[in-house]
Amino acid sequence: MTVVPAQQTGGGGGSSGLYDVLELVLDRGLVIDAFVRVSLVGIEILKIDVRVVVASVDTYLRFAEACNRLDLEAGPRKSPGLPEIVGEVTESGARGKSKGALSGAAETISDAFKQAREGGSESETESRPRARKSTSARRKEEQE
Amino acid sequence: MSTYVYGITAASHPSLPEGMGGVGDPPRPVRILREGELAAVVSDAPEGLRPKRRELLAHQNVLSEIGAAGCVLPMRFGSVAPDDDAVTGVLAERAEHYGERLRALDGRVEYNVKANHVEEAVLHHVMAGNPEIRALAEANRQAGGGSYDDKIRLGEMVAAAVKDREAEDGAVLERALAPAADAVSVGPESTGWLANVSYLVKRETAEDFLAAVEQVRKDMPHLEVRLNGPLPPYSFVEPGPAEPAGAATGGADTEVG
Repeated sequence: MTVVPAQQTGGGGGSSGLYDVLELVLDRGLVIDAFVRVSLVGIEILKIDVRVVVASVDTYLRFAEACNRLDLEAGPRKSPGLPEIVGEVTESGARGKSKGALSGAAETISDAFKQAREGGSESETESRPRARKSTSARRKEEQE
Repeated sequence: MSTYVYGITAASHPSLPEGMGGVGDPPRPVRILREGELAAVVSDAPEGLRPKRRELLAHQNVLSEIGAAGCVLPMRFGSVAPDDDAVTGVLAERAEHYGERLRALDGRVEYNVKANHVEEAVLHHVMAGNPEIRALAEANRQAGGGSYDDKIRLGEMVAAAVKDREAEDGAVLERALAPAADAVSVGPESTGWLANVSYLVKRETAEDFLAAVEQVRKDMPHLEVRLNGPLPPYSFVEPGPAEPAGAATGGADTEVG
């Protein structure tokens, strides 16, 4: 099942494609009452981040800034979503990502998976001082 | 020794991945348990199995192998039976049901579609279509960015307009792809995407479905559309309208990190 062009699945795909598949593996599929399900402790980081509150002050300020910068004369991007836009947008600052307006959560999850991959051990998400992590921690605080 | 279950398939499946590496470290070899016309694809369940990335991938990879050569009913990740006999017992007891599901899903695969807005493009749409937001943004700009309260007010309006637009575009996307599929299953909502929809598609018409996705990408360039598949039919294993699938893994409050 790995021969369709333009797909992102199959184990070697991009991290967002990988997350998209793992969401199905975790949340859907057949459940049989007679079997137990392994504890999903440890996956909370995924679930918590998925529920990140969108309507935060941070989001409002970011949108306001983005609107101030927006040049209406230029019209919408001719080809949004194409790879070239990634390069363009990252130049304009860390917050201006080419991802969806409200999709920060998915990126955080990808980061979590990335950390898990790099760490390899069970405690990889703990006490690891890195810039990315502070973002994810702040997100969690926001929604509490 | 408890038994980890990957999926249920027909005993006549032409190529079951016996011996392939499954969950666990080291990976436990995949075994096949047959009962009548059904087969369960299993392995020993490792002690202390946890939903880590590599385990989820192992589960998915085993199912991909089975699904490549025939129909499989994929188990949700983490299903563990007390022993092999418990698995064959369930196969015997529910043979008719699983047989029916396998026939219903035969020759079909799942494609999952998720979509986000491209931020700058959707902000353009929102500004262009909303004079009030435009005026406020202009006033802020002339005031050198506006006060904190002005910014919050503008941002709130923009966020609300973006949210409306998400719902709108999500519905358009869902409708645009439905005709190319046999069945549709809407996944849990989240802030991570504006649409999360799975489609059951016949293998032989998969090209048509992929073409429909390409068309949507052309027609809605302000969306980033992510397509995953073909996958085992995770979202279609049970008949009838799929239930919201979000409840099963939530609940715990433990902080990680």
